[in-house]
Amino acid sequence: MGRSVELARLIDGCKSGDADSFAQVVDMYAGRCYGYFYRLTGDRDLSDELLSELFIRLVEKIRSYQGGAFESWLFKIASNIFHDHLRGKQRRKRLLDARRNQLEVEPDLNESRISDVGEDRLDKLQVHLNRLDADTRELILLRFYSELSFKEIAELRAEPIGTALSKLHRGLKKLRELMEG
Amino acid sequence: MRDQAHENLVELLRRFMDEPTAQATQEDIQAGERWLGAYPAPAPDARLLMVLKAQMAASARRRHHLTRLVHASLAAAAVILLALVGLFAPRTANQAPLSVASMLPAAIWDSDDMTADDLDLAYFSSQIGQIEAQMQALAGEDGEVGTGAPEELEMELMAIQAEFLKG
Repeated sequence: MGRSVELARLIDGCKSGDADSFAQVVDMYAGRCYGYFYRLTGDRDLSDELLSELFIRLVEKIRSYQGGAFESWLFKIASNIFHDHLRGKQRRKRLLDARRNQLEVEPDLNESRISDVGEDRLDKLQVHLNRLDADTRELILLRFYSELSFKEIAELRAEPIGTALSKLHRGLKKLRELMEG
Repeated sequence: MRDQAHENLVELLRRFMDEPTAQATQEDIQAGERWLGAYPAPAPDARLLMVLKAQMAASARRRHHLTRLVHASLAAAAVILLALVGLFAPRTANQAPLSVASMLPAAIWDSDDMTADDLDLAYFSSQIGQIEAQMQALAGEDGEVGTGAPEELEMELMAIQAEFLKG
């Protein structure tokens, strides 16, 4: 209860443009949002960019927040930013592929994935997360870092709760097998 | 570590499957999430957060100023519109001219000079007090003595309004 009152006070502060309130929101959520972006991309520089984009968008959109779970609202924006990034990346990849075809170089998907994560050393979890399909991976990370309930996650993703549960179960079971295998 | 706190997972799972399957599914979910907890993602760089906070503060300031500017412009536009309506609205022959300009000019709302505003307000308040006193005096007297006084009052009111609009 105390935390939600404190959060409501911070959000009011943000809505009136108070810099301290924004700074406190960053302190509260930057770690979780960064974790979400990092586990989705495996790239620290890219995660830095996405996190910056998220909080700048928060400043722009905070007046449109009408109550409800703040985490749900924030991670919805985070998810949109990630998808915007993917769309941009797909455009760039198409351009790159066209270039490669011109040079008659065989594209290697694995190599492409490694280059996407830059020079970061991938931990075991990251390697196995990358083996899951993109949608399941995002669902698992959304659940873990947003700490939302299944009902809220299902609403955020606009899919039935049973579908979200089933996908998450399959994904986490596979992740467990990969990690323990 | 975190059973999401918001819900009873087994209870939720039981809505979709039988008891043993729900238990097994919960175990799979919790085990998978334990692996996520066992490999924490790196934390964002402290310098990045400092820069980010500064950018957010600057962005919030810009937006706040822009909002104030828009509000001030809207208030000014509303005053101008009301004044225009007052000037150009059709009047009937016997109807006295109506002044519809606001008694509280935009200049007072927008001003940051509180001392000057207070002086203005004190001056206008005293003027209004005097007019009220005169009106009360008129109401107390019979018709002959007060003849012509309402016109004078109206002139005074118009003069005060003109001062208001000048800011």
